[in-house]
Amino acid sequence: MTKISFTINGKQVSTDVEGRTLLVDLIRDELRLTGTHVGCDTSQCGCCTIELNGDMVKSCAMLAAQADGATITTIEGLAKGDVLHPVQQAFTECHGLQCGFCTPGMIMASVGILKANPNPSDDDIVKGLEGNLCRCTGYVNIIKSVKRAAELMKA
Amino acid sequence: MQPSRREDLRLIQGQGRYAADWNLPGQLYAAVLRSPHAAARIRAIDTAAALAAPGVKAVLTCADVERAGYKSIAGGIATKDRSGQPMKKPFYPVLARDHVAHVGQAVAFVVADSTLAAQDAVELIAVDYEELTSVVTFADAVAPGAPRVHDEIEGNVAFVHEHGDAAATDAAFARARHVTKLTVDSQRLVCNPMEPRACLASYDAAAGRFTLHAPSQGLIGARSHIEQITGLSAKSVDLIVEDVGGSFGIRGTPYPEYFLAMLAAKELGRPVKWVGSRADTFLSDYHGRALSLTGEVALDEAGNFLAFRWSDTIDLGAYAGPFGAFIGTQNISITSHGVYKVPAVHVRSVLAYTNTTPISAYRGAGRPDIAYAIERLVDQAAHEHGFDPVALRQRNFIAPAQMPYKTATGPIYDSGDFPAVFAHALAAADHAGFSGRRAQSAARGRLRGIGFASYLEAAAAGVFNKDQTAARVGSDGVITIHCMAGGSGQGHETTFVGVFAATLGVPAATVQYRASDPAYDRLVGNGTGGSRTAAGQGSAFKALALALIEKATPLAAARLGTEAVTYAAGTFSGGGRSITLTELARALPPDADGNHPLDCNAETSSPATYPNGCHVAEVEIDPETGVAEVVRYTAVDDLGNVLQPVLVEGQVHGGVVQGVGQVFGEHAVYDRESGQFLTASFMDYPMPRAGWLKGSFTRESHPVPTATNLMGAKGVGESGCSGSLPALMNALMDAVRPAGVADLQMPVTPGVLWRTLNDAARKAA
Repeated sequence: MTKISFTINGKQVSTDVEGRTLLVDLIRDELRLTGTHVGCDTSQCGCCTIELNGDMVKSCAMLAAQADGATITTIEGLAKGDVLHPVQQAFTECHGLQCGFCTPGMIMASVGILKANPNPSDDDIVKGLEGNLCRCTGYVNIIKSVKRAAELMKA
Repeated sequence: MQPSRREDLRLIQGQGRYAADWNLPGQLYAAVLRSPHAAARIRAIDTAAALAAPGVKAVLTCADVERAGYKSIAGGIATKDRSGQPMKKPFYPVLARDHVAHVGQAVAFVVADSTLAAQDAVELIAVDYEELTSVVTFADAVAPGAPRVHDEIEGNVAFVHEHGDAAATDAAFARARHVTKLTVDSQRLVCNPMEPRACLASYDAAAGRFTLHAPSQGLIGARSHIEQITGLSAKSVDLIVEDVGGSFGIRGTPYPEYFLAMLAAKELGRPVKWVGSRADTFLSDYHGRALSLTGEVALDEAGNFLAFRWSDTIDLGAYAGPFGAFIGTQNISITSHGVYKVPAVHVRSVLAYTNTTPISAYRGAGRPDIAYAIERLVDQAAHEHGFDPVALRQRNFIAPAQMPYKTATGPIYDSGDFPAVFAHALAAADHAGFSGRRAQSAARGRLRGIGFASYLEAAAAGVFNKDQTAARVGSDGVITIHCMAGGSGQGHETTFVGVFAATLGVPAATVQYRASDPAYDRLVGNGTGGSRTAAGQGSAFKALALALIEKATPLAAARLGTEAVTYAAGTFSGGGRSITLTELARALPPDADGNHPLDCNAETSSPATYPNGCHVAEVEIDPETGVAEVVRYTAVDDLGNVLQPVLVEGQVHGGVVQGVGQVFGEHAVYDRESGQFLTASFMDYPMPRAGWLKGSFTRESHPVPTATNLMGAKGVGESGCSGSLPALMNALMDAVRPAGVADLQMPVTPGVLWRTLNDAARKAA
């Protein structure tokens, strides 16, 4: 067991983890932040995307022990109180989600895209979402949502 | 701008509750041992080492399942052939008994203190397998002397289905001027909802009741399967389902792990949670499609269709899945005419078992496949016999004046205007401008093609002949409405509350929605499937609102002191006074049992509908790389009345891109020698990604409302698949035919296109 400490959604957490525990399992099973989802076992689907030290990472592809000292934001920590993050706002406005299972990861990945590039083209968005799978929307409204979020963030 | 849907606020903030998100105090964790072999006899299973491993509480095998009295997993819709012979169905055990019949079949179920302990213990189970030769394709399964998937089924043929008039069809072919024959495959797919399956079962020994959290498409269907298989009374199982991460047909019935978790929870006296991985999804969720359809069309001199003849082969997988036998029989027969006048039709399907994961319904369940086969066949006939593909379709469409139209095989199309939908689509797709666009593409060294697909579906039929709904009125005036369908992304909460509130004329905020709430198990109704909820449950909610007004009117009259009461926009008026429905609800006290005087129920019966449309695709191929891009896509659909345009458009997007996935990449591939499943992960199985449909997407409605249900809706869920497979494949064929390519089969990957184009060029040289 390894003792680790990190900040998640503004809260300080200290816990003991087994060396083999994945970060996503710690987030879901121990911290019970179940908004971060697990959609695959090969780091392809992106449902588990979180922000870690300013980067968007797939939390299934990291050991929990590697998060020692990190600052993490998950989907639960994105809104400011009752005010949705512009990307969340855009996803609901543009009907960018159906079943919602990929959505937390899609939203986190989109936040990352817009952080790196506030004016993404369709191609930039498509490239930025390469690591996120959705089975419901055909991505049409997801791409629309990211563009709408870019507008909202400028406003 | 406003949120699109009521369900969004929780889902975009990580507050959804999917099956794996539930936890109970004291819960144990399960893992499944799956067969590594496609075909093997099980000589012995030694669980001693696993049982002795740290944290392990139980290891269930077939012996435990038999001790519990569990029966065969249901083989779906009962089917008899024309001579009255039932389909041959092998016993489908919850855990493998004496043999395994596909890679991934569940063999043992380990329950432990943690998931990791359970997974570790799975590896300690020693199964003595005697490997057997497997068959993983239909052709290999029915070949003379083929190994048997199940000892008791010689030749591996489960069923031979026939539909229509063979003699009339033969006679039409005998007098035909032109005949075209074409075989198309609709390859085996993995349905892959984004949520892997999961469940959490608990047992209340004092009450004798189970609680089960698992993905579902509706309570009644799921519970009837649980009852059939476990022998438990359906009423003793509370199935709790809040959010479901996609289902597409394959999550309509429960899976072995759910029964096993229930058994373990009862025996161990603690809740048992199982969370499947994506590998579990690939190996053990029912697969989709796996049909090969050979169509023949007979035409007269002018191009009138005289007959269609279908000869189809259906790969069922290793067992009869819940809807496995329905797809390649009834469901492809119902719409084997498509949108055309065809005086004679005959369908013959042979269904066979193979050593692969069983198939079940996947978005359309045979309807996209037959729509694809029809529209490929029509294009092929036009090409072979010198007809214009547009004119050939126009000549043969059923005319609106012929509605209701009784097809040669029985179904009656109630409504539709196929020629107008087609004309609408050609205009929306700028068909007239295509030759110019093709020339521009050619100038850039690209091959461009256009494809049309006039599809028709038979939707909304359902399993039960009625859908019931209930309204429960709170003393705060908030009305909670219930039905038995289960959503998985369709936006039922938004749609049904919308129907109910609009019919009542009250703000949607005063209405709450509950799906498949076990507390309302008196209700009967269909699950979500067959594109039916807008027509079925939508109608039942409209009826519910009307019933509520009827029930409230005399009570309002009593309050207002007059018989002459009218109701409009949420308010009763009469005698110069008025009272709102909400005020009335608040004013009326509940009875001794807590029932409100305005509580009411409704039911409707909504028959099959015939959604149809025309999709037009344009593709551009780079012959240097074989990469094809969808550069324009137009969908004009007659879905009847559209209840929520934004949501309906989302359904079309999703359906079309699932078609894009099937056309350009998805394929569940098994190794012919070993029977191993070669594309069983997202690294090997290409899921459609953002950008697979990047060109302009135009979607327009051409509603011809049906009179057969209260909403006038025909349904949307599966139409995107039915339109896109043929439109895209016809576009690809149109692009490569001039280069000398005679045929393409899905999936048309860049490698396939590149090789096909190069082979054609070599032949021409």
